[in-house]
Amino acid sequence: MKRLIYILLLFPLCVNAQSWEDANTAYSEGNYAEAVVMYENIAQTGNNAEVQYNLGNAYFRTGEIARAILAYERCLRLNPRHKDAKFNLTFAESQIIDNKADTQTFFLLKWARGFRNMLPENVWLVLAVTLFLLFIVSLFLFAFAGPLTLRKTAFAVSIVTLILSACSVWCGLSLHHRDSVRDEAIVMQGIVNVKASPDKSGTDLFVLHEGTKVRISDTVGEWCQIHAGDNIGWIRLKAIERI
Amino acid sequence: MIRRKILLFAMVVLSVLAYAEDVSFQANAPKQVILGRPFQLTYTINQRGKDLRAPEFGDFDVLAGPYTSQSSSTSFVNGKRSSSFTLTFTYTLMPRREGEISLAPATITVGHDQYRSNGLKITVLPADEEQPTGGGQQAASSGQQRDGRQQQGSQVGGDNIFMRTVVSKTKVREQECILLSYKIYWAGVDLAQFTNNTKIPEFKGFLKQDLEQGEIQTNLEHYNGRNYQTAVIYQTLLYPQKSGDLQIDPASFEAVLRVQNRAQVRSIFDDFFGSYTNVTRQLTAPGMTIHVESLPSGKPAGFSGGVGHFDISSSITQQDISMNDAVTIKLTVKGTGNMKLLKTPAIDWPEGFEVYDPKVNNNFKNTTSGVSGSKTIEYLAIARAAGDYTIPPIEFSYYDTQENKYKQLQTPEYTLHVSRGNGDTEPSAVVQNYVSKEDIKQIGSDIRYIHTGSLPTERHRLLGDFDGLWYLYFVVPALLSLLLFLIFRKQIKDNADIARVRYKKANKVAQKRLKKAKQAMSGSSAEDFYEEIEKAAFQYLSDRLSIPLATLNKENISDILRKKGASEELVQEVNSVLSTAEAARYAPSMAGGKEDLYQATADLIDKIEKVKL
Repeated sequence: MKRLIYILLLFPLCVNAQSWEDANTAYSEGNYAEAVVMYENIAQTGNNAEVQYNLGNAYFRTGEIARAILAYERCLRLNPRHKDAKFNLTFAESQIIDNKADTQTFFLLKWARGFRNMLPENVWLVLAVTLFLLFIVSLFLFAFAGPLTLRKTAFAVSIVTLILSACSVWCGLSLHHRDSVRDEAIVMQGIVNVKASPDKSGTDLFVLHEGTKVRISDTVGEWCQIHAGDNIGWIRLKAIERI
Repeated sequence: MIRRKILLFAMVVLSVLAYAEDVSFQANAPKQVILGRPFQLTYTINQRGKDLRAPEFGDFDVLAGPYTSQSSSTSFVNGKRSSSFTLTFTYTLMPRREGEISLAPATITVGHDQYRSNGLKITVLPADEEQPTGGGQQAASSGQQRDGRQQQGSQVGGDNIFMRTVVSKTKVREQECILLSYKIYWAGVDLAQFTNNTKIPEFKGFLKQDLEQGEIQTNLEHYNGRNYQTAVIYQTLLYPQKSGDLQIDPASFEAVLRVQNRAQVRSIFDDFFGSYTNVTRQLTAPGMTIHVESLPSGKPAGFSGGVGHFDISSSITQQDISMNDAVTIKLTVKGTGNMKLLKTPAIDWPEGFEVYDPKVNNNFKNTTSGVSGSKTIEYLAIARAAGDYTIPPIEFSYYDTQENKYKQLQTPEYTLHVSRGNGDTEPSAVVQNYVSKEDIKQIGSDIRYIHTGSLPTERHRLLGDFDGLWYLYFVVPALLSLLLFLIFRKQIKDNADIARVRYKKANKVAQKRLKKAKQAMSGSSAEDFYEEIEKAAFQYLSDRLSIPLATLNKENISDILRKKGASEELVQEVNSVLSTAEAARYAPSMAGGKEDLYQATADLIDKIEKVKL
């Protein structure tokens, strides 16, 4: 009975491994459309950076640049240090029409955001807790150590670790917020007119092309307000897909 | 007399010499004739020939002939004599049936040699259906003038002169060549000339390639039941540049017709020469619609844009060269089609070659079937590094209009051996150390390949994410450490209290011990005295330095004192007191006065009391 349960538990994993191999074979033989379907099926069963990366490649080969960018972005969400995904994302972004318009313009915040994106959320938590424990240890050293130099060093270390721990907490929390709000999205439609109001008859403000990254700040019915660089406007939710 | 004979002889010789010139024997007849109308067939020879044997005139009736006529001319130009002679045999024939009739060559004998003329092909057109108003140019003869139906005044009907637009194809593929000609048809009128007032349309959507127009040739053509004189006045090659129905606008020409006046007053001259008026007439060649289909999908990768029929060949100058030698690959594209629009295919030279722009040599000719000829491309490169290289094949693909599909051609692959060369190409000693470093060059760019290993299982997450009760990871250690801190704090405080008490009491305890010693001094037991002194000193130091008594001995006391910041003098004094006490304890005889030791100890304690340790 127990064995049966184990087999049942392992079953989805085996299916995944099998279809993963099949999808890779399809890709290497040039059947990119087939590979896309297979990778999508695998991605349905669980989030994995490598699956998203390969899916992005398959989409890129079939010419769906916007879908490829979306998959690379998702891959980088799961593993921010995936070098190949970073490279391919940059390459895919060079193929789209719109220039990369950063939603954040203040350089310090931009820098901070880049720093934040270097590690995934759970690693930030581990780092923060570790630094916090270090802080406590150094605080104890400061309080109870005998020699004066050791106590001085311990004090400095405690301050530094506390600050770093706080930073890590901020990074992790910020990432958690981003992933729970999912306010970043990729334009999926070839050309979209961005309106001044959430209404079909609204004035066209500007035009976005597929593959462009936007930030969602508000939603009204099937419309959402997006930021692309300094431009703000309303767009239909189905024209974009959240990362 | 003799001189005359010589002259005659000379002339005969000359004329014999003249025989030795090329004999040209030609048959001439109109290409098209009309059924039931006589025409003339002539045989012309430029020598005195005899015994003409005409071929069988099977389908032609010989109405008259052969009539012989000859002409000769002699001219002196700049003292040079040139003479020409023609002998013409004329037959008047009349065709008996329609269609194409071949005439075999005729033969003639010149001297002892027999010569053959060219053969002829004559197309016999059907006779005009309704009683003709005129039958070609000859019809404007005096005989016809009498019925006067046609050439009255300047009345020139639309049937008698018109233009047609003739295209070789009306359904073509994009870039496929079509031949467009504007043809004029006339019958029973006298066409004199064209004015400059012509309007050729723009041919929107086409690439135009005008054909060289030689002398305008007139032909007979049976069209809509009538025989017309025709002439092509304008011919061009068109290459459609886009798909869809492309419209060719009408073209207009202005012709000058000569019309015989049936003038009221017929002077004697008019009667003799006839009187003509020139009438200009606007002629319009109708427009056309060309249906252009786009090229089918599935263009091969290296599609050159060529449409037509091509063939390629290539050659290489050398396959075994030394460094810094040049190598040239020559590619020749031959064929018919839109040659001018062909892209120059590129060679993917391996790294290590200095590549120059290819030299393109075009040799095109506009023919009625399209631009044909050859395009020669010379690719020059200089080998800069030794080694064995493979030059990939040049791919050339085009759309074949004969087979209606894309065709891919490939030149052979060449292998090149570049040797290091002889001494003079080696870098000289001066620059031997110099090696030009190169960064890795990015030749192309593409996305990186997929991850192919096994699917990595998700790693166990150590602490999870920032959701739920994540802050407990911080609060719990903080609270625990706070508790620990408090406990530590209390213990230290307690310890500190004990030490302080002992510190404060140190003097008192020492004084007590000294008092005991004093009592012992007055007593008999010298050993007790020394023991008390030693104990007093050690106890005092232990209390004063907060160091347990057990860990304190004579050996480490000076080190501890020094560490605590006591002066060297004090350390010496402590040592001397302790050693004196010890020595006196075990060898009382060697000791000095008990009083002295007691005083020294008391002084020492006083001194230490004053020093902050």
